[in-house]
Amino acid sequence: MALRQWMVTHDWMVKPTAQTEWIERRGVLVWIAEVFTSLGAGLYLVSLFFDNWWGMLAAWVIIMFLKVPLHLIYFGKPFRFWRTIPPFTNAWKTSWFTRGITFTILFGSVAFVQLVITFVALHVFPATAWGAWDMAFRVLGGLLALLVGIYSGFIMSYCKSVPFWNTAMLPLVFLFAGVADGLALIMAIGLFDPRVSISAAESAGRFVLAVNALMMAAYLWNATYTSRTAKYSALLLLKGALALPFWLGVVILGIVTPLVISSLSLFAGEATTGLLITAIVLHTAGAVALKYVLLKAGVHTPLLPTLSYSHRL
Amino acid sequence: MVVDLSKCMRCHACIAACRVEHFLPLGMTWPRLIAWEENEAELTTFPVRCNHCQDAPCVKVCPTGATQQREDGIVWVDQDRCVGCRYCIIACPYQNRTYLSRDRDTGYFPGYEMTEFEKVGRKLYPHTVGTTEKCNFCMERIDEGISRGLKPGKDRAATPACVNTCPSRALHFGDLDDPDSEVRQLIRDRRGFQLHLEHDTDPSIYYIDKGYRGA
Repeated sequence: MALRQWMVTHDWMVKPTAQTEWIERRGVLVWIAEVFTSLGAGLYLVSLFFDNWWGMLAAWVIIMFLKVPLHLIYFGKPFRFWRTIPPFTNAWKTSWFTRGITFTILFGSVAFVQLVITFVALHVFPATAWGAWDMAFRVLGGLLALLVGIYSGFIMSYCKSVPFWNTAMLPLVFLFAGVADGLALIMAIGLFDPRVSISAAESAGRFVLAVNALMMAAYLWNATYTSRTAKYSALLLLKGALALPFWLGVVILGIVTPLVISSLSLFAGEATTGLLITAIVLHTAGAVALKYVLLKAGVHTPLLPTLSYSHRL
Repeated sequence: MVVDLSKCMRCHACIAACRVEHFLPLGMTWPRLIAWEENEAELTTFPVRCNHCQDAPCVKVCPTGATQQREDGIVWVDQDRCVGCRYCIIACPYQNRTYLSRDRDTGYFPGYEMTEFEKVGRKLYPHTVGTTEKCNFCMERIDEGISRGLKPGKDRAATPACVNTCPSRALHFGDLDDPDSEVRQLIRDRRGFQLHLEHDTDPSIYYIDKGYRGA
């Protein structure tokens, strides 16, 4: 029996309704901030691996001067931001939001000290005891960058209200996407800094992009049988309103094209600068699209069961 | 709270009472109402509001501790502490929280001076733009009533405004922990149910379905 809605004032009660707070109007700031989170945290981790000071510096700047301000501007009451920071709140016990802010502040502090120490160890007092401190802060900074890169995934996956996000796979999707973003950015730095091994970055990029593709496939596959609402979200990406940004932005620009370009070097030697720039730009566009579709596809389960459903209760 | 769906007659009095009680801004509505037409002869209405979940996700996700739960189970928002991150709005499985943006608080007559009603309201309930709001079960009334020895759900002065106003007595309020309370009896006798049990939030609002009318 077809049910007809008598009043249309609150569609969200009876239809799967996408969350708008973190993607529409001022919510666009959250989307962009999350892109910078991925780029910054990923670049820091990759720069540690490639031992590239400029990469670490760029990552720190992205996190502290692009991501953090955007989040603050998004707040309805930005001057109360201090209330989200321990010891002014003890919400870190349950809230991933507070944990994430704490990770970000700790990362900002530790990475700053690490950048200074590394610079001093490299340029002022090479081959001294500074090296031990440098290593200690690199490990700590790397760990915190990992947490910064993954906490947004936990913030979203905690929401039972949005079944598409409510999976342990989401933080991993964010983490691997961040590493892939970092590899793209380190190649961009490598265009100016000859100490970056482009071929090594390409090899790692091939592997991480392939993992990303598998992660996305598994994530969407998982969503199709988690719940009706999660399946609705997955179908939005695969063949619904978000199909264009997903297939064109995330899949073709963000994964397939960079993967093809980096794979060309297996057969035709190192990719040309033009091709590299293309791969970097396209992958970064893919990173922007990925966060967009994930936030946009966050759909709430309708509040009310249909009458026939409620009769069964 | 128990909502008797078979008695609700879609008069919207609960919504009006809440607006008057809390001097709600024009674009803000704490309780809401939706009506369904199952067939030409039968309409069903769902009045909804914050479910005051015993295991409330909004309390857990709030980064500042602005959303709090009292010992009696009422979940409320301390607007002086809310930072406006809107995580609670997304985490609420019942979508019953609203962000008070500037365009929701235009005044009752946009472009004109505030009415006396609004001016008084601003003093009593300073709704803060940039924060999140929701139903608080009229906890000020409850506290005031209890301090005078009154019993919520029994005495009007200690009972939420929407419950007092409902002309068809579709709303019932009381202590869910008291096995002899009216709400507990209604839930027991008429097989009250909660919305979205799968979220494990244990809502404090139960519905009595018209399917069990007269049972």
